[in-house]
Amino acid sequence: MIWKTAWKNIWRNKVRSLVVIISITIGIFGGVFAVAVMNGAIEQRVDAALNEEISHIHINDPAFRDNYDMQLLIPDAEKVLSSVEETPGVNAACGRKVISGMANTATKSAGVQIVGIDPEKEKEVLRLNETTMPATGDFFETESRHKLAFIGQELAKELNIIRYRIDQEMLDNLAARGVPVKVLDRLAPFNGKRFKSEKAFKKEMKTVLSMKEQHEYGALIKEEAWSFRTRSKMTLTFLDKDQMQTGAVFRIAGIFDIKNSMFEMSQVLVQNKDLAELTGLAPDAYHQIIVRLDNPDASKEMAASLEKKLPGLEIMSWKEIQPDLAMMIDMISKLYAFFMVIILAALAFGIVNTMLMVVLERTKELGMLTAIGMNKKKVFQMIMLESVFLSLIGGVVGMIFSKIIIGLTSTNGINFSNYAEGLEAMGFTSHIYPVISSSFFITVTVLIIITGILSSIYPALKALKLDPAEALRTE
Amino acid sequence: MKILEIKNVHKIYNSSEVKVHAVNGVSLDFEKGEFAAIVGPSGSGKTTLLNMIGGLDTPSDGEIIVDQTNLAGLKSSALIDFRMRNIGFVFQSYNLIPVLTAKENVEFIMSLQKWNKKERDDRTFELLKAVGLEDRINSRPSKLSGGQQQRVAVARALASKPKFVLADEPTANLDSKSTETLLDIMEQLNKEEGITFIFSTHDARVVKKARRVITLEDGKVISDERKN
Repeated sequence: MIWKTAWKNIWRNKVRSLVVIISITIGIFGGVFAVAVMNGAIEQRVDAALNEEISHIHINDPAFRDNYDMQLLIPDAEKVLSSVEETPGVNAACGRKVISGMANTATKSAGVQIVGIDPEKEKEVLRLNETTMPATGDFFETESRHKLAFIGQELAKELNIIRYRIDQEMLDNLAARGVPVKVLDRLAPFNGKRFKSEKAFKKEMKTVLSMKEQHEYGALIKEEAWSFRTRSKMTLTFLDKDQMQTGAVFRIAGIFDIKNSMFEMSQVLVQNKDLAELTGLAPDAYHQIIVRLDNPDASKEMAASLEKKLPGLEIMSWKEIQPDLAMMIDMISKLYAFFMVIILAALAFGIVNTMLMVVLERTKELGMLTAIGMNKKKVFQMIMLESVFLSLIGGVVGMIFSKIIIGLTSTNGINFSNYAEGLEAMGFTSHIYPVISSSFFITVTVLIIITGILSSIYPALKALKLDPAEALRTE
Repeated sequence: MKILEIKNVHKIYNSSEVKVHAVNGVSLDFEKGEFAAIVGPSGSGKTTLLNMIGGLDTPSDGEIIVDQTNLAGLKSSALIDFRMRNIGFVFQSYNLIPVLTAKENVEFIMSLQKWNKKERDDRTFELLKAVGLEDRINSRPSKLSGGQQQRVAVARALASKPKFVLADEPTANLDSKSTETLLDIMEQLNKEEGITFIFSTHDARVVKKARRVITLEDGKVISDERKN
């Protein structure tokens, strides 16, 4: 009966209850959706890190990671590789040569990590090949008599391999894509001009386009101005196994875009056979073995078991290779709960206020209930239930609403392209697919119930202090 | 059989400036089955006395003994429980729970006492029938007239089979027809089922029906008449 009465009581003043419910709905929706966006960004980051950048486990000489000394090869690397491949739970593994070097073009140079791979085997462990930008080539698939290198978009920009040009074709494309004539007219004086770098291009665009135009069409103009000459050249220089300077001209096989500026800037993938030839290292000599597991969550246990199997080698799970990522994942679930607690704490004040009004308005009735024998526990319970019901209705509606919006946006994602540069610098993609686990909804529900209970304590204590005889005299 | 003893009860209100002796040395006994009215002008101490009898207020001095239990000896929570089991209340302004139906209002106390559903339903129907509202069991108070609401309040007061019912000016807000119906119902319950009613009132119609009339003035009993 107390439950029924409490439920009916919240509908006494429909407008007031609805105001509280709507504010809770909005608060919960905002919180849950923001968490889903953050969570989506992080899951995509982790997914990209595991599938495109680092894989699940790395095996190398214990001192190798200190300064990437090219002499620190894995002893009997082929044997180790087959032993790893045969381990149950291992999906695929491949060996790599990893050396430090310089990448140069006619105008620019950059320090890079040159990774010698077997493209076919590499594809089984990482899917970097799938991130090849359109019209830039492929992942070593087209035969060539030249030495080939697969590089990141940021490095290509840095080395002026990617350039920007404005020509009639580009302007026509922009017109076809709906850029207004007014904007095209401003670009017209640059017709036929080539820009060496993204920076130079952006600088010019800033002088002719207003902030609003840059905001609206900047990304589109940049995309159309982007130009790349297939099989561009670059020189890679490094030391050979005898510490002698060596190097060669490499043609760009393709350019990858994984929305992680740091990684794109530093990694140059070349074929193992070319690197073996240039460094004088045996083709089956590897600095590093990367491993893909059936279950990435078991990487820690698998690393420990491989450590026993392969003494004398350093075996690291992805959480050890990228501790920042591991920490982010561990912290973030706590952070989400904390985030929701802050939102609910703010909402709690609204609930307290409403419940205080409820107690004040019902003074006489509460006095009557105590007079006829409703004890303090029951009075407390009734006020508490009303508060919990209010919170839960708003919370559940908010969660349903966020579930729907997350469902809708998770298919096409949300485009934060205006913040792409900043996000990609941190390794995050600018196209985020919100995602949230069902267990988070359970956590939120529990938090909402706790909020309802806590918000009712003060008003309920007020109700308990009422003197029935006095309360009955109030009008 | 005495069901209520009031022994030299005083109630003094100490406001900052004046001391008000609201009830001044009242001693009364009530037997089971009485139909008694406490009358007197406004400020004579009727409601204060009734509140003390009902355990809603504590005497400054003296004792109130309900069925051999001294109310002064009960702690707050025990007193609430005691009220629930032994005393029925009818208030001047009905004080029904507006969101509950007539039936739910009547069974509220029974559910607090954890009666099972069947018992609750039977008793509720029996009581609402007794007050002539068996056809309005699912009406909310806002759909009932004042007289009907007060009849529901009487049914509620009787729900837990109390030792006696205290009614504080139960007819003050009712028209004469409703008053008559209500008084007939209470008289019938008193005669047929032996339920003890104690009213505070200054309604002549109630006084006329009462078989015992206690008159208070300035907190003192000035007369205590029994009719046959």
